[in-house]
Amino acid sequence: MRKQYLLVLVFAGLVALFNACKMGAEYKALIVTGQNNHNWKASSPILKQVLEQTGLFSADIATSPDNKGDMNTFEPNFSKYDVVVIDYNGKSWSDKTKKAFVDYVSNGGGVVIYHAGDNSFPEWKEYNEIIGLGGWGNRSQKDGPYVYYTNDKMVIDTAAGRGGSHGKRQEFEIRIRNSEHPITKGLPSRWMHGSDECYSELRGPAKNMEILATAMSQKNAGGSGRHEPMLMTISYGKGRIFHTVLGHADAGGGPALECAGFIVTFQRGAEWAASGKVTQKIPYDFPNAAGVSLRAGFKELTLEEDLAKIVNYDITKSTKYFVDLQSRIRNEATTPEALQKFEKLMIKILEDKAATDDAKKLILHEISWMGSDLSIPVINELAKNPQLKDEADFALARLQPAK
Amino acid sequence: MIDKSTRRDFLKRSAAVATGAMILPQIIPSTAMGMGGKLPPSDRIVMGAIGVGSQGTGNMRTFLEHVKEVQFAAVCDVDSKHADNAKKLVDETNKNTDCRTYGDYREFLEKEKLDAVCIALPDHWHGLIYTAAANKKLDIYGEKPLARTIYDGRAIVSAAKKNNIVWQTGSWQRSGENFRKAVELVRNGRIGKIIRVEVGLPDGGRGVGTPPVMEVPAELNWEMWLGPAPKVPFRGISHWNWRWILDYSGGQLTDWAGHHIDIAQWGLGMERSGPVEISGKGVYPREGLYNVPVEYDFNCKYANGIELRVANSSQLPKKWGGATWFGEKGWINVDRGRLVASDPKILDEVIGENEFHTYKTPTNHWGNFLDCVKSREETIAPVEIAHRSISVGLLGEIAMTTGQKIQWDPVKEEVIGNTIASRLLTRPYRQPWNLPTI
Repeated sequence: MRKQYLLVLVFAGLVALFNACKMGAEYKALIVTGQNNHNWKASSPILKQVLEQTGLFSADIATSPDNKGDMNTFEPNFSKYDVVVIDYNGKSWSDKTKKAFVDYVSNGGGVVIYHAGDNSFPEWKEYNEIIGLGGWGNRSQKDGPYVYYTNDKMVIDTAAGRGGSHGKRQEFEIRIRNSEHPITKGLPSRWMHGSDECYSELRGPAKNMEILATAMSQKNAGGSGRHEPMLMTISYGKGRIFHTVLGHADAGGGPALECAGFIVTFQRGAEWAASGKVTQKIPYDFPNAAGVSLRAGFKELTLEEDLAKIVNYDITKSTKYFVDLQSRIRNEATTPEALQKFEKLMIKILEDKAATDDAKKLILHEISWMGSDLSIPVINELAKNPQLKDEADFALARLQPAK
Repeated sequence: MIDKSTRRDFLKRSAAVATGAMILPQIIPSTAMGMGGKLPPSDRIVMGAIGVGSQGTGNMRTFLEHVKEVQFAAVCDVDSKHADNAKKLVDETNKNTDCRTYGDYREFLEKEKLDAVCIALPDHWHGLIYTAAANKKLDIYGEKPLARTIYDGRAIVSAAKKNNIVWQTGSWQRSGENFRKAVELVRNGRIGKIIRVEVGLPDGGRGVGTPPVMEVPAELNWEMWLGPAPKVPFRGISHWNWRWILDYSGGQLTDWAGHHIDIAQWGLGMERSGPVEISGKGVYPREGLYNVPVEYDFNCKYANGIELRVANSSQLPKKWGGATWFGEKGWINVDRGRLVASDPKILDEVIGENEFHTYKTPTNHWGNFLDCVKSREETIAPVEIAHRSISVGLLGEIAMTTGQKIQWDPVKEEVIGNTIASRLLTRPYRQPWNLPTI
């Protein structure tokens, strides 16, 4: 008996392994890092995690020698990959590696330029055409114009001046400028980004570049006072480049990387760079103009995790878990069966003695329109509780309207 | 003060004399009961006001300017500071101290002998107070949107019709030259057969967080402010900012439906009907007290195939506010301070005598109400149209709340084949409040 059980387990394990190999990830990503004035040791594993989370990517990390090392030994095999993520801001690569990279892009390779990735290689002409805009490294008018938005129009400004600056770190609003691009389609047109450096005054060739989103670089925070590009796409040869200036990393990541807006645009941008399309759904926790959305552990919560939080609902702390439940109902409860699945989960909360009254009030309100006769007994029970009577009556009036 | 019914009869008679034979509202001569003040002071329209916050006071000020036609007798507000300020305004105009103040509309309606009332309240109170005032046979200048739910809206329309009152909605764009011109150009085919319409509205409702529970100010009757809405502790959000909380309002969408959707349906000739299919998507705050959608985008189909898209304007291709009609031969956009067309020559078109003309108001929107109180004619923004305008916004809200495509019967005003969406046609009232059955 025992042996048989073990055999079944082994078999199940093999099947799972086989499936994992067979399905695999659709795209291979390479994260290039190893030198950066930023915390690459924190950011690169997080970028790998969020790429793999999509189920679309398997990601490798190519770590360069440190800045005292021999750069000739750094020869990532770009051509093996569908998308190369640049989390690198350090010493020049060897001519051979540079050429391999340019060939990779020209031949249709995808690239994601991440945050200080656009600080790198100020002297490398092709690289600057690939990133579109860059900053620091003595960039100035010699490297190309400023590009920004004024009165909802793109401005190409050749004025003399430094390339690259940012004000103090803070939360800021991202404004989508092209909502028809696959990367941004369906995103809220304005959303709050977790505390980050708002890059500004970038300059570069800006050839074949499209701005997908901007943010106001606030003057009172030491910024430029202009709507600066935050998300861009560039085409170079046959290659597609997605450029995000977002995501300044602290040890452990920090709010710029925990921002669901950063993560999701990064994931979508990477898929687009790899394939020219975006198949990922927009998650329920995407931020909007009402406030930032930070993901502990860089992962979206599951339904079960949301429900566990709703049980302890406190309006000052946990509205988002309920709002995400509402979004799930809207998007997933497309059949009566699916609706009832949610109803049963909500009834559990109504029956839960440990659930707060405030949690039950929210659930009663929601169940008032999407519930069924299944809910009536527990609502009748709650109607006896003076704290919950009004909300229970509200739900009953909708679920059992007077004829 | 003469008896109310006698005075009203007198008003009707004098209006009939002044305007001669009135056939259609469209052709009221501009001499009709203008602001010339043909009535002696004792025969002025006696008015009161319920809800005298920012919008209510604004309306009242405009009526007070019509001093030869209107006399205010009383004001009512659940905030005694609002009521006191309004009384001061009235007393200054009347040059006495007679204006009476109330905190409870039931007492106000019971005690005051009025001809008409102007009402400006949070949406969750509209059903109860509009119907109560109509049942007192008062003519009403009522703020848009007509109601918080389609059920409440229909109840208000029924009460207004049953009591044969004159109703003017605060959808004042209808009295604006640009809007009327746009509607006339569209209705008379100047951009050809209409294919689709876009309505761009503002967004908003961001970032209040969750203010702490605080003591209710002495001047505010919080229980009465909440009325039929769920009982919640006071967190400093009441006047004006009620529009960001779903218990009281649908946000910018319902706030503006009574303006630009109203104009859009007028241009389509759908102002007394509505769409048959509605679907769309909202974006909702994930934290804080405010919970109305910060972005919204829904599509309505009419039985004739025309489509109306309603969205916060930043989601629209040209990011334009107002109403934009797209026809086979061009487009026209109208917003506050803007009337543009695919070809500027369209705007120079003259509308012929035998073509469709919008209702002409010889005065302004408020003056039109006073004219109609006297003439008993329909106003430029009557109650049925107000109901149909907000219904589009509310159907969009239902589609976004459920995530479902809603089939709607605009004649029976029923959701077809969808029990759960039907439930959202109402918001049950907290006891002891109940909408009177008509």
